[in-house]
Amino acid sequence: MFEQAVAAFVQEAQEILSELEDLILGLEHEQDQATIDAIFRGLHTIKGSGSMFGYTCLARFTHHFENAYELVRSGDLQPGKDLIDLSLAAQDKMSEFLELGGDGPRAESLLVSPETCALIDKLTALTGAQTTAPASTETAKTGAAATEKRTVEIVFSPLSDALCNGMRPDLLVKELLELGSGSVRIDTSAVPSLDEMDPTQSYLTWHITLLTEQDRAGIEDVFIFADDADLKITEHVADEPKDTEDNAPNATASKAKSAPGGAKTEHRQENIRVASSRLDDMMDSIGELVIAQARLDAVSESVTDPNLDAMVEEVGRLVLGLRDATLSIRMLPIETVFGKFRRVVRDLSAELGKDVQLVTSGGETEVDKNVIDRIGDPLVHMIRNSIDHGIEASEVREAEGKPAQGTLRLSARQEGGEIHIAIEDNGAGLNHDAIRKKAIERGLIDEDTELTERELNQMIFEPGFSTAAEISSVSGRGVGMDAVRTTIDGLGGNIEVQSKQKLGTRVTLRLPVTMAIIDGLRVRLGKSVYVIPLSAVEECVEMDMTEKARTSGRSVLQIREHMVPYLELDPLFAQEPSQEHQRRVVVVRVDGQRVGLVVDDILGQGQTVIKSLSPYHRDLPGLGGATILGDGRVALIIDVATLVRWAETQHGANIPKVA
Amino acid sequence: MTQSANLDEANMILVFRLEGEAFGVSVGIVHEILDPLDPTPVPNADPFAPGVINVRGVVVPVVNIRRRLGMSAEQSCDTARMIVLEHTIDGSPTKLAFLADAVEQVVEADVTTLEKVPDLGASWPQTFLKGALRREEEMVILLETETLFVPCLPASAA
Amino acid sequence: MSKTVLTIDDSKAVRDMVMFTLEPEGYAVIAAENGQDGLDKLRANRPNLVITDLNMPIMNGLDFISNARADPAGTGIPIVMLTTESAPDMKAKGKEAGATGWINKPFDADKLVAVTRKLLG
Repeated sequence: MFEQAVAAFVQEAQEILSELEDLILGLEHEQDQATIDAIFRGLHTIKGSGSMFGYTCLARFTHHFENAYELVRSGDLQPGKDLIDLSLAAQDKMSEFLELGGDGPRAESLLVSPETCALIDKLTALTGAQTTAPASTETAKTGAAATEKRTVEIVFSPLSDALCNGMRPDLLVKELLELGSGSVRIDTSAVPSLDEMDPTQSYLTWHITLLTEQDRAGIEDVFIFADDADLKITEHVADEPKDTEDNAPNATASKAKSAPGGAKTEHRQENIRVASSRLDDMMDSIGELVIAQARLDAVSESVTDPNLDAMVEEVGRLVLGLRDATLSIRMLPIETVFGKFRRVVRDLSAELGKDVQLVTSGGETEVDKNVIDRIGDPLVHMIRNSIDHGIEASEVREAEGKPAQGTLRLSARQEGGEIHIAIEDNGAGLNHDAIRKKAIERGLIDEDTELTERELNQMIFEPGFSTAAEISSVSGRGVGMDAVRTTIDGLGGNIEVQSKQKLGTRVTLRLPVTMAIIDGLRVRLGKSVYVIPLSAVEECVEMDMTEKARTSGRSVLQIREHMVPYLELDPLFAQEPSQEHQRRVVVVRVDGQRVGLVVDDILGQGQTVIKSLSPYHRDLPGLGGATILGDGRVALIIDVATLVRWAETQHGANIPKVA
Repeated sequence: MTQSANLDEANMILVFRLEGEAFGVSVGIVHEILDPLDPTPVPNADPFAPGVINVRGVVVPVVNIRRRLGMSAEQSCDTARMIVLEHTIDGSPTKLAFLADAVEQVVEADVTTLEKVPDLGASWPQTFLKGALRREEEMVILLETETLFVPCLPASAA
Repeated sequence: MSKTVLTIDDSKAVRDMVMFTLEPEGYAVIAAENGQDGLDKLRANRPNLVITDLNMPIMNGLDFISNARADPAGTGIPIVMLTTESAPDMKAKGKEAGATGWINKPFDADKLVAVTRKLLG
C-alpha cells in the first residue's frame, strides 16, 4: 500500500518537475500570475508530500525553493534572471534528489553537499528572513472566497471539559477577529461562587459581533475543532437578515476546506495513465492481426466466394481502423521534446557567452512515442553543435552585419508517413575547407578526392570525424555526429544537411511517424523476398539492359536526364548473380543522394509489421528488421541507408559520385 | 565448470540425434518441436546462424549446431525435426531453433551423475558439452547451452 | 522562548515532516515513536502541543490521549490526532478520549502549520 503511494508520489513529482522547467522558462518571457501560482503549487506539493513518502531530503530542500516562490507569489520578490537561473539549478537538484529514490545516506549527503548548501544559501539570500509568515497568507487564501461585507453575530460557550482538552477560547476569538473587525462581550453570569468553582471548567459565554467579508463556512472553519461547545452564528447580509441557525460545526466545514484538493483530482481524471509497455503489447497484437489479415487476403484470392470477399474486405477495414486508433494512442506531440531544448539552449548560450534565441514551430506535430524517446539525445547534440560551432559571438555577428542575437529554429512537420524535423541556425555555416582538411587528416578521404558540397556536408556524420581532442566541454559528451546518424538510421530515418557560408546551416531529419508498422515495397531477389521501406523509395524503373551495357565499367543508369548510380543487390547479399532479363530498379534516397537498387521483380506494396532481429542478426549491414509475409514466410527489411553506406566500403560496389 | 549443472531444472532431458549419436538438452528451455521449416536466408550472417523462420509470428534464428560440433552439413531426412528453445542472450530471452536428425524422447536423469564425455573418436569441442549420461546401452551427451548458442560477431561487417 | 511540539508517530517520514515543517516556523519539535514513548516525553519535556498518530505499536494514539489527559503534563494542552478519511469514527473516539483537534492524512505542511498556529497562537 505504502509502496504504491510512494510510487504515485515519485511519478507525480517527476511530472511536476518536468512541468516546472517549462514554467520557470516561461517566467523568463512573461511573468503572469498563473505561471507563478503553478510553480508555487508544484513546489508546495513536492514539499508537502515528499516527506510523507520517504523523500524528506527532497522536501527539505524544496522548502527553501518554495519560500522564494511564496515571495514571488505575493509580489515581494521579482522573478529576475538570478531567480530563474537559481530556480533551474534548484529544479535540477530536485530531480537529483528524486533519482536517489528517497531518503537514505545518499540523499542525506546530497542535502549537505557543498553544491546543495550553496544553492540553499542563495535561495535564502533571496528570501531574506527564513520565516515568511505563512499565517497571513493562509488567512488571505481563505479570504479569497469572500463575499460582501456584513455583520455576523456569534455566540460561543465551551462545554464543561473543553478546556481540559486543550481548547483555547481566547485564540478562537482572536482568530475570529482576524477575519474582520468587531467587538467581544463576555457573559459571566454562569460563573459560580469561588468555592463551587472547578478551575478546569469553563463558565463563560462569548458574544462576538463581527464585521467581515467572510462567509459562513469561513467562520465555521474557525470553530472546526470546537465541537465541544455551543455555537450560534447569525448572519445579517445587507438588508436581508438571515435566519438564526443553530450550528454545531461538523464535517461539512472540513469538506469545504478539502475542496481544492478534490478539484485537482478531478482535473487529472481527464486522462488515464497506461504503462507504455501495455501499448507495445497491444501494438504487437495488432501486428499479428495485420499479418493474419494479409494471409486471409491471400486465401480469399484463391477461393472464389463473393461472401468471403465481402467479409475479408470488412475485416480489412476494421483492422486498419484498429491499427490507426492504436497508433494514435502512441502519438505524442513533439513539443514534449522541444520543451527540453529551451533549457539546453539557454544553458549553453550562457556557458559559451553567446546570445541565442530558440524559435520553435510545429510542436503540435505528433510522433510515435518510441520515436520521441529516441530522438531527444540526437537533437540535443545537434543543437549543441549549432550553438558551439555554428552561431558566432555577438561581436563577430555585428561585424558581419547580422543581428547580435543568433537564432536557432527548431521546426517539425508531418509529410505523408514521415516527420521532418529541422534544426536551423543563422550562424557561420559549415566551413567546407576545414571539413575537407580534417577529413584528409583523419584519413576519411584521399588528398585528391573531389567532393561535392553535399558530400562535404555529410562528412560531419562520419565516424571519427570529430575527435575528443577538439570537442569542447559543451559539445563533447562522448557522442559525435556519427552517433546521431546511427540513431536516426536505427529509426529508419535519414539526415540531410544544407549549409551556406555566413548564412547558416540547416539539418533536416526525416523520420517515420511510427516504428511499429511501415508501408513497405516487396521486392524479389532470386528466390528471396525483401521489403524496402516505402518512405525511402523515390521511384521504380525498368532496368534497361542495353543502357547497362553502354555504361560498362560504371554502375550508373541514366534515368531521364539524370545519372543515377546503382547497386546490384545479389553480390551484396551473397546471392548467385541474377540471370533474369526483365529486372527492375528501385530508386531510393540516402543521405540526400539518389541510388538505384537492382532487384529481379517488384511484387507489391503493403503494410509491414516490423519485427526486430535477434542478436545473431541485429548488426548486419543493410538489414533493418524482418517481417512475416502473407504466406507465413519471413522477409527481411532492407535498411537502405546502412546498405548503401556499407556497399560503398565494399570492393567492386563503389558508387560513383554523382552531383 | 562442466559439473555446474542446475540440478533443479535439468532433470528432464530431451534426447535427440545428430549423426547417429544421442544428444540432450534440458526440457526446461525447450519451447516446442516443429517439422522442419525452410529458413529464409539472412545475407552476410554468420554461418552459425544462416537463416530465420517464422514460429507463430516470431522471427526465430535457426542456428547450425552441427557446425559448432564439427559435424558435416545435415542431410534432409523424414525424421528431422526443428527444436525451438529459449535461451538468454545478453540478458534478454531469445528464441532460437536448430535442426535435429530425429527427436527421440524425454528421459528423467540424475544430472549429478554426469560423467566426463568419453573419447568416442568424435572431435566435439569440449566447451560445448556439459557431460555424458549413461542411458541403457549408450551415452547421451548433454550440450552446454551457455557456450553453444553464443552469437558470433558478424564477420562480414568488418 | 519557543513553544515545544511533541510529534508521536511510528512513521519516521511523518515525524520528520512535522519536524522540518514546524522548526522553520519557530517551534521546537521533539519526536516519539509510539504512545508509551510519547507519554514519557510528555512528562519529561512538557510540550505545548502534541500531534499524535492513532495507529501505532506498543501504545496506540487513543490510549495515549486518555493517559495524557489524566496526567498533569497533559491537561489543558492541545492534542491533535492524525486521522484518515477512511475511518471517521476514529475522530469521534479521539474527541471522546480528549483530543483537541485533528488533521486528516495525508496532510501537507500548510495544514500542519495552520492547525499548530490555530491551537498554539
